[in-house]
Amino acid sequence: MQVKEIFSSQLPVGETLSIKRSRFEPLQKSDNLKRISIVSGTHGDELEGQYAIYLLTSWLNENQDAISGIIDIYPAVNPLGIDTITRGFPLYEVDLNRVFPGGEDGFLPGQLVHALVQDIKGSDIAIDIHSSNIFLREIPQIRINKEFSNFTLPLAKELNCDFIWIHDAVTVLEATFSHTMNSLGTKTLVVEMGVGMRLTKEYGEQLLCGMLNLMKKEGIITTENSFEAREPFLSEIGEVFYLNSPSSGLFVPALDHCAIIKKNEKIGTIVEPLTGATLDTLYAPNSGILFTLREFPVVYEGSLLARIFGERDK
Amino acid sequence: MKIIEIANFTSLNRAPLVIEGYLFEGSDPYAPSVAIVGAMEGKNILPLYSASKLVDFLKNKIHDKDKIRGNILVIPSINSYALNINERFWPLDKTNINTMFPGYELGETTQRIAKKVFDAIRGYTYGIILESREDLSNCIPYVKLFKSGFEDIEGAKTFGFRVVNHRELTPVDTVTLQYNWQLWETKAYSIVCPNKNQIDIDNSNEIFEGIIQFLSKNKLIDYRVLNGFESVIAAQEDIEIAKAPKSGIFITMKKEGTYISKGDVIGQIVHSLNGEIVHTFISTCNGMIVCCYKNGLILEGALAFRIIKSD
Ligand SMILES: [Zn+2]
Repeated sequence: MQVKEIFSSQLPVGETLSIKRSRFEPLQKSDNLKRISIVSGTHGDELEGQYAIYLLTSWLNENQDAISGIIDIYPAVNPLGIDTITRGFPLYEVDLNRVFPGGEDGFLPGQLVHALVQDIKGSDIAIDIHSSNIFLREIPQIRINKEFSNFTLPLAKELNCDFIWIHDAVTVLEATFSHTMNSLGTKTLVVEMGVGMRLTKEYGEQLLCGMLNLMKKEGIITTENSFEAREPFLSEIGEVFYLNSPSSGLFVPALDHCAIIKKNEKIGTIVEPLTGATLDTLYAPNSGILFTLREFPVVYEGSLLARIFGERDK
Repeated sequence: MKIIEIANFTSLNRAPLVIEGYLFEGSDPYAPSVAIVGAMEGKNILPLYSASKLVDFLKNKIHDKDKIRGNILVIPSINSYALNINERFWPLDKTNINTMFPGYELGETTQRIAKKVFDAIRGYTYGIILESREDLSNCIPYVKLFKSGFEDIEGAKTFGFRVVNHRELTPVDTVTLQYNWQLWETKAYSIVCPNKNQIDIDNSNEIFEGIIQFLSKNKLIDYRVLNGFESVIAAQEDIEIAKAPKSGIFITMKKEGTYISKGDVIGQIVHSLNGEIVHTFISTCNGMIVCCYKNGLILEGALAFRIIKSD
């Protein structure tokens, strides 16, 4: 395993910002190896990818003989953000996943993402691991842009996630890592799982199994071990129902986890501590799998509380 | 003048967020109309001040109300929750209201705010958005127009600012107010204000005079103004950039708005611990500095100066 710095910028007082990549490759090098790039930490408040990547790198260290392709790991695209609980690039207050593909002559965050793209360009596959944000908890899922789904959907099914959400092309999302890399011919998958600022160990293990399964299928690792990928729900066979808060207050969930629920099952209440009033009681608008649930309790009118995927009830 | 309530959102512990517009009804039903949007971000001090100063001007300085020809709606503040605590974006989820247009009444809070604002300002002939620069620099006030296919360059020149920045549309721009307003057939312009936390009187006068000149030239008010500048239309290729090759303490020798010649010393970077000069910025062209990095500490690779080339 070799560690390389792919971008650096001296900070004003005695410190250097450095974006690092570690590369795992076979002991016997050869040409035309398949390459996978695994990226996380673009949003500094999302940490689930840190653990999933740690599980993967430690597996690779223990199974060096199994490596039959190139595995490039970029755990921290936004290192300053991760170390300071800041979602965007500190100082510039910019969401790095909205400035791709960047450029050498642009502002500093644009230079950073440009260097990342240049380094990953040419990979066969890329996986970008996110964990929603501090407000919402998500079951392990893959987000796919319809524009590229012919290439990416077969790979997504190997990743051992619970849900694959294929969404329409939206212009603003052209500024993301995944759109940029898919446009450059790297089949790129976006994983969303867990919640911001926390690790969910079982999700990390679930994704590890999926990444190893995918790499084995693609010939990037060769091993006797077998990895099972669960059958995901596919967003094409059903609808996504949104539940936004009708009022501002404190959201108290009625469920502990994301789960299979029935229409009109209670999801939670919006309450007011000062008066003891219950402002609203929320019920499932449709039966299905509740794959997103509000984690951060303070809500305003409009705050997303839950998302349910299912076939429309009669 | 009427005060209209555009939106009213409650909060768990804060007083409600009320967005108000000041509507001046014009005397001529055939005159064009304009809506002016002030602070969408909490650090938009100059946008807030410019809009509120305009309200005062229309209300108290124009005594003959017939001189207000067309309808003028001024919304000084959209994001008072952020202004009041010196946050930049929506304080709870840090989303930028100016990336939520055209808005969605069933969506997230900031999408709902954008929707209410957009409903109130749709259909005006002209739209003026007071913004701050998004990166870490200060600039002379200028008009920003996206190459959207709907933009009105001639109208942008009537503010009389020195520069109209006519720039490529990026994916993120498609969710801004300017782009969506244009899509709905309002001639929309963004005035980019310096990103300062205090009121700079020179800047604020320049912005205010620009707005008054626009209102006068486009027959919204009868008011004699002295002409401003003949605006230069600047695209990406007309702008020279100077990046910081080293990090440290950044000292500007020439401010934004200054004409410079090739070879002029325009800035320095000093080592932050030993005090030695580690870099001297020397202009590589003739022109005017339009933007300077605004902080005293600079990162390696940061854009220190933007210069509009004279030749
Ligand atoms: Zn993310």
